[in-house]
Amino acid sequence: MKDKCRHQPQHLCDGHSAAWPRAFRQWGWVSLACMSLFCVPLTGRGQGNSPAGVTYERILNAAHEAESWLTYSGRYSGWRYSTLDRINTGNVAHLRLEWAFQTADLGQFEATPLVVDGVLYGTGQNNRAFALDARTGRAIWRYQRNLPEKLQACCGMVNRGFAMLGNRLFMATLDAHVVALDAKTGNVLWDTVAADYHKAYTFTVAPLVVKDKVIVGISGGEYGVRGFIDAYDAESGHRVWRFDTVPGPGEPGHETWAVDSWKTGGAPAWITGSYDPELGLIYWPTGNPSPSDYGGERGGDNLYSNCMLALDPDTGKLKWYFQFTPHDLHDYDATQIPLLIDADWEGRPRKLLIQANRNGFLYVLDRTDGKFLSARAFGPVTWAKAIGTDGRPVADPAAQPNAKGVVVCPGALGLTNWYSPSYNPVTRLLYVATSTECDVFSATPQPYRAGHDFVGSVYVPKPDERPSGALEALDPFSGQKQWRFAYFSSPNGGALSTAGGLVFAGDSDGNFIALDARTGQDLWHIQLGAAIYSAAVTYLLDGSEYVVIPAGAALFAFALPRE
Amino acid sequence: MRPAVGTRRRHLVAAMALSAAILLGLGLPAKPQQAGEAAAHAPVTVNPAQIKEGASLFRANCSPCHGLSAQGGGRGPDLTSGRWAHGSTDAEIFRTITQGVPGTEMPANAFEDSETRAIITYLRSLRPARQAGASGDRARGQQIFFGKGACSACHMVSGKGGGLGPDLTRVGAARSASYLIDSIREPSKELSDGMVDPNNHYVNALVYDTVTVVTREGQQITGVAKNEDTFSIQLLDTSQQLHRLRKKDLKSVTHEHKSLMPAYTKDLLSDTELRDLVTYLERLRGNQ
Repeated sequence: MKDKCRHQPQHLCDGHSAAWPRAFRQWGWVSLACMSLFCVPLTGRGQGNSPAGVTYERILNAAHEAESWLTYSGRYSGWRYSTLDRINTGNVAHLRLEWAFQTADLGQFEATPLVVDGVLYGTGQNNRAFALDARTGRAIWRYQRNLPEKLQACCGMVNRGFAMLGNRLFMATLDAHVVALDAKTGNVLWDTVAADYHKAYTFTVAPLVVKDKVIVGISGGEYGVRGFIDAYDAESGHRVWRFDTVPGPGEPGHETWAVDSWKTGGAPAWITGSYDPELGLIYWPTGNPSPSDYGGERGGDNLYSNCMLALDPDTGKLKWYFQFTPHDLHDYDATQIPLLIDADWEGRPRKLLIQANRNGFLYVLDRTDGKFLSARAFGPVTWAKAIGTDGRPVADPAAQPNAKGVVVCPGALGLTNWYSPSYNPVTRLLYVATSTECDVFSATPQPYRAGHDFVGSVYVPKPDERPSGALEALDPFSGQKQWRFAYFSSPNGGALSTAGGLVFAGDSDGNFIALDARTGQDLWHIQLGAAIYSAAVTYLLDGSEYVVIPAGAALFAFALPRE
Repeated sequence: MRPAVGTRRRHLVAAMALSAAILLGLGLPAKPQQAGEAAAHAPVTVNPAQIKEGASLFRANCSPCHGLSAQGGGRGPDLTSGRWAHGSTDAEIFRTITQGVPGTEMPANAFEDSETRAIITYLRSLRPARQAGASGDRARGQQIFFGKGACSACHMVSGKGGGLGPDLTRVGAARSASYLIDSIREPSKELSDGMVDPNNHYVNALVYDTVTVVTREGQQITGVAKNEDTFSIQLLDTSQQLHRLRKKDLKSVTHEHKSLMPAYTKDLLSDTELRDLVTYLERLRGNQ
């Protein structure tokens, strides 16, 4: 391997630690940062069992508190990477089930649990939630939201998890509320209405806590909602700001919607954003314009659908945006986790934002100003002929859906999708689950009715081709493929990578798999009996490293046998 | 995000890959339909706007299984034939749509009552594309099935026959005559349980394609995969022996886009014999 630190002075600590001396964060400290031991926690572990619970400082320092899992992607940079290495390439073959927890609910289990001071806080299907003894899997409390009978949630009654601040847990609910629960009891502390579920506004996202605010993005791009990102005061539950992802009259970007199409424009924001505390920006991706596959009545670029938005977390003010797929016709939500990586780019250090996008391209942006740096296809792409030097795609008119149907790659579910990628700073590889599926897109106009499907289309897999998938290791800067582990079916689960040289991933046929992060070799797997719709987390308790994955109606925790 | 239809379609694909999940009901729309009796019995009025709405709803929600033109897919029956396996009155069709059909892959659907009625109106407006109803001799068809045609070597009817191909006990309730004719004359035309349309062969997972594995010892086994995932395959070979194999013990797994069923050309089955056979199959509606 080439000079390991050429790209990344801070490659083992993603540079967001307020506890680090400022000088240490300067680019000149390349050699120091290369010595991985410097990234062993200086802070963090001593903060366990803090009566203050999860402080903002703890989340800032999450990279140095590997025994916990404090936020959706493990840390603000979106990496879903842990410095734990007790489970590693040498012993992972001995991994065994430590406990299982049954949610007693069916449907896709898409959530990422949090683990704080020995307690696991999880959400399940239908807005169930629970706190478990992370040692045994025994429930401490359970919560079940009383959901209305008629609820339109496009893609299952799912929830992707809690955010936590202090001793409060925050859940965004399917009936478009944001609630705060007491971490000790599960009791409701506040419950705020964000939007009207009768019009098919729903939440599935795991919130992001930044400072004293709880940030959420709405779902409902299949029903013609007008998307938004909200911030709520963690203490009171009062809304502090809202960013409308479809600009209204008089706002910049409004001109990118024909006539009144903005009113039902979609652009939901249903996956958790990342955060750079130094730049003071959250990076929140948005989803498809509505109707997703028929664009005849929404002429224009349809801002801010399929965008990366850089927002001030204090005010919700837009700093910059980048639109990956203008005037989308193939349901290419940009709702994939943005990875914040500091690296040399063309000879100078830059703060990068990297995203493997559902539209089939791996994007590199400068996250200070949104400048486009590169886009490379990481699989078959036919909807665009090329990406221009400004980052704007050259769409292929032949790929436009029509009434009869047209085959387009990637399919509507994307080359990848919402399920989390992982960035490992040791291998300096990006691990991303991919699908081989190309679809036949068939589109027709569809009248809007509040609270009803508004998709204008049907899509099915390309004839005579069985969709399959893979977990792939890519160089995040060049897009070059390092290895590919083939799945039998298209994936719905993401990846976790660790300092143990491992990537944990789950396939749609129920296999939970540990791969060698450098080679992609399968080192261990187990059949869990139901499709995996999430990505694993890891934590340390009593000196043992645990790896937890949801599958079917259960949460499974694995650890090494005790000596 | 993902359109509803895509999601539902995805559920079907997932279900095929994970039959255990079907049994548990995983992935199917979770909400019970609250349609009341009154709604079910409300008259279905006919007007062009309602037909249009029904067509739109059908396309987005039903076509993945029943075909874009409602003439049936490999998974869902032809809805233009005038035959309704679960009741032909408006109230019965309303119930079928809203509550699903237990024991089949037809799920309950959470439409509003007016939407369900629009879909019924749309379906009533359709005419059968092909008057392919067979008028042959049912008894002779049965003899062909269990005799000359050797269909029963691989297909079961009411507990009699083989298990390599699909059970045909209810095939007449679910498939049009034209679909049956295609399946006999050109068995490789449609290898999926998924949707098919006379105009566009939209196909889901290929569950009846030919799979050949070669073991590390060089043994070659051909059959149909009862299940398969990243690490294993459960293969029923042509002599209907089940092989439970780990892929690490195999040199290769090859999927061919053809059926193991021979094509019954006119040399093997005359037009008259075909008509007799289809007449027999069309009247297989279960154990009533």
